[in-house]
Amino acid sequence: MALTLSDLIEQARLAARSVMEYGEGLINPTVRLGITGLSRAGKTVFITALVHGLVRSGRFPVFEALSEGRIARARLAPQPDDAVPRFDYESHVQALVADRVWPESTRQISELRLVIEYQSRSGAMRELTLDMVDYPGEWLLDLPLLSKSFETWSAETLELSRRAPRAQLAKPWLAHLATLDVTGQAEEGAAIDAARLFTEYLAACRQERYGMTMLPPGRFLMPGDLAGSPALTFAPLDVAPNDAPPAGSLWAMMRRRYEAYKDFVVRPFFRDHFARLDRQIVLIDALAAFNAGPEAVSELQDTFRSLLDCFEAGRRNFLSALLRPRADRILFAATKADHLHHTSHDRLEAILRRMVERAIARAYVAGADVDVIALAAVRATREAQVRRGGAALPCIVGVPMPDGDSAGGNRNGPDGKMLDRMTEVAVFPGELPSDPEALFAPGAAPFRGLAAARAEEADFRFVAFRPPPLETTGDGVPALPHIRLDRALQFLIGDRLT
Amino acid sequence: MNRPHKPAVFRLDDPGIVVTPSEAPRRIAAPSPHPPASLTRPSPASGGGLARGAGDGGAAAAPATETERLPLVPPQRRRLPWAGMFWVSAAGLLLLATGLGIANLVEDLLNRAAWLGGIGAALAAVAAVALLAIVTREALSLLRLATIDTLRQRAAAILVSDDRAAGRALGRDLIALTRRMPRLARARARLESHLGDIIDGRDLIRLSERELMAPIDAEARRLVAAAAKRVSVVTALSPRAAVDMLFVLLTALGLVRRLALLYGGRPGTLGLIKVMRHAVSHIALTGGMAASDSLIQQMIGHGVAAKLSARLGEGVLNGLLTARLGLAAIEATRPLPFTALRQPALSDIAGSLLRGSASRGAEEALQDQRSP
Repeated sequence: MALTLSDLIEQARLAARSVMEYGEGLINPTVRLGITGLSRAGKTVFITALVHGLVRSGRFPVFEALSEGRIARARLAPQPDDAVPRFDYESHVQALVADRVWPESTRQISELRLVIEYQSRSGAMRELTLDMVDYPGEWLLDLPLLSKSFETWSAETLELSRRAPRAQLAKPWLAHLATLDVTGQAEEGAAIDAARLFTEYLAACRQERYGMTMLPPGRFLMPGDLAGSPALTFAPLDVAPNDAPPAGSLWAMMRRRYEAYKDFVVRPFFRDHFARLDRQIVLIDALAAFNAGPEAVSELQDTFRSLLDCFEAGRRNFLSALLRPRADRILFAATKADHLHHTSHDRLEAILRRMVERAIARAYVAGADVDVIALAAVRATREAQVRRGGAALPCIVGVPMPDGDSAGGNRNGPDGKMLDRMTEVAVFPGELPSDPEALFAPGAAPFRGLAAARAEEADFRFVAFRPPPLETTGDGVPALPHIRLDRALQFLIGDRLT
Repeated sequence: MNRPHKPAVFRLDDPGIVVTPSEAPRRIAAPSPHPPASLTRPSPASGGGLARGAGDGGAAAAPATETERLPLVPPQRRRLPWAGMFWVSAAGLLLLATGLGIANLVEDLLNRAAWLGGIGAALAAVAAVALLAIVTREALSLLRLATIDTLRQRAAAILVSDDRAAGRALGRDLIALTRRMPRLARARARLESHLGDIIDGRDLIRLSERELMAPIDAEARRLVAAAAKRVSVVTALSPRAAVDMLFVLLTALGLVRRLALLYGGRPGTLGLIKVMRHAVSHIALTGGMAASDSLIQQMIGHGVAAKLSARLGEGVLNGLLTARLGLAAIEATRPLPFTALRQPALSDIAGSLLRGSASRGAEEALQDQRSP
């Protein structure tokens, strides 16, 4: 990628900012925790559970600083950026704990700062500040665009739209695209139509049934406050990758808007929230992809490949800490691990490891620490063995979400009877493959998902459950149950609390 | 791919199914192969565990194969069956001879007077019962030490494999091992409640170590420091070399015994010899590696003290040697390898030894005797 002037300016800005923050960090140690994940991966729940656990002293046996009793207390503090909304921790907790519903999908960026007062092993009282940012996961999809020209992006998007199962969904948009004259005079009407059809195509791909994830630009799906602005009114065109557009053409207009989108939307987002991370956790909802089918699984892998290339990782030294901080610990977490029995967690971890192996290898070479876990920030189920006939199935038991938007529409019980809002069911979600290689072998169709088969024929059915009723810790403080959230915390910030 | 089970949803009140809370038959869902750990960098902890496991393997593997042939035969070498056979048969002969002698003695006593014979027979019976009891106790203590060795090896293996089921089993065994330690009641209860959670093998080992070993470690460190201090003071003050040699020997034996007791072993004489051998072989094994820091410290410590007074220098040297033996004994008797907690180093104890005044040493020695 050629280094353009705007890239240089960007780098200089980043460096200046990190020098400033380095000085600040000497007085007031801060960890910027990058929470990376697509939409519905569980970023909001992760932050809420993490803060709740630390503030209310949850049950975190593996998180050593807390279980050794060295954390005196953790409190919320005013966030550093005044222009960004505050993460609405209280109402998310309220939703989880009292109403037993999951937080709604995030529409706006928000920020939260947590101050942990702890005593170091040597006995000194210290404070560690933890900065976290929550944002709509769709926006993350924009980061790979930063290194792509309009023409490259167009070619890639078109190529992708001709693959199954997208081809069917892309028909209206592709038909409209065929009518466009790209070198002709620019017309706002044509641009608006193209953008609308393209957005509809993206939204259709995102349906739970298809589970597609590679859907940039992200603001098309979650516009935030930019809805209807010209920076969001463009669409890919069928153009040659290396040509220059004639002046005044539709092509030139689309291209200009694409660049504006990158400059005014993507770059500031990246600069403000992702360019300077100390620690990173990548939340990946692999189970939704398993519901949808093998195409979704391999697309999830591609999405994270291109996405994770945007992040820098590596061991810290003085110079890099001063000029260009990079994450020196990266945790890859397969979220919603409570949707399957713990005996399958190892398989889920193996699959995830295979999915992000390129990023793992890169981080490893650069000297960053990497770990892969199956995680449930809030554990909604318990486990049980169900014996039917001769076979015992490792099942999970929980209250399914009533809206039935999850796979197979579990509004009805197995016998077709309407389930009560709070009736528990036992679910055997299917058995994950033991060999992750088989999943990603080219041309293989290792299992059937909802995208290609009827609900009864699908090989997996990971059901959405209601948040759990609260359990209490030894001290009588209610704590949200979780799976390996303490291990994640130990990996991410445990070494800063020694 | 062969997929035996399709996804299914069950109502909990369905009469056709049986629901059991997941605990017991968890092996039904074929234990999956562990994810290849090739790409992740082994954390320092697990790396240490690996290295320690390998190092321990040398020291502990041989005793483990011996202990399979327990109880009560004295340790044998597989390479030299003749020597073993000689000792066993010689011991058998000796036993027979003793038995015959006692039988003859009782017979003679009976010939002389019936009541003398009665007393003789009674004494012989008591002696026989006592011998049996001693042998049983020794055998049990050896078994217990062997259990602790196995625990440590299992823990080292789990730190590498991260096996959840094995970690849980080990946690239960540790709780059983420490059942008689009153000060761990709360820690045990906490650990027990965590065993039901979904925690990975490596984390469970670290958790068990933090919960159960931390208080014992502190106590062990105190014991070693106190013994080292006592030895150095007595060596510096004693009038004769023979006296302090004897004192060092007794203190070392006592220290090793108390450490073994502390970590859950109940060593008898044979067990004590075994632990001692472990510890000494451990010093021999790690001596080369530890030379960089602790040996130099020893020399410097000795040198500085010897400049002040020859006797004082000798005392410090003896104290440091005792401390080293104690640290080795901790490693040999601890049921878990050091991963989450820091291994006590010689410098922890040497520091207090060099700067600690005699009065404080005496004070602690007193305290030590008061609370055995």
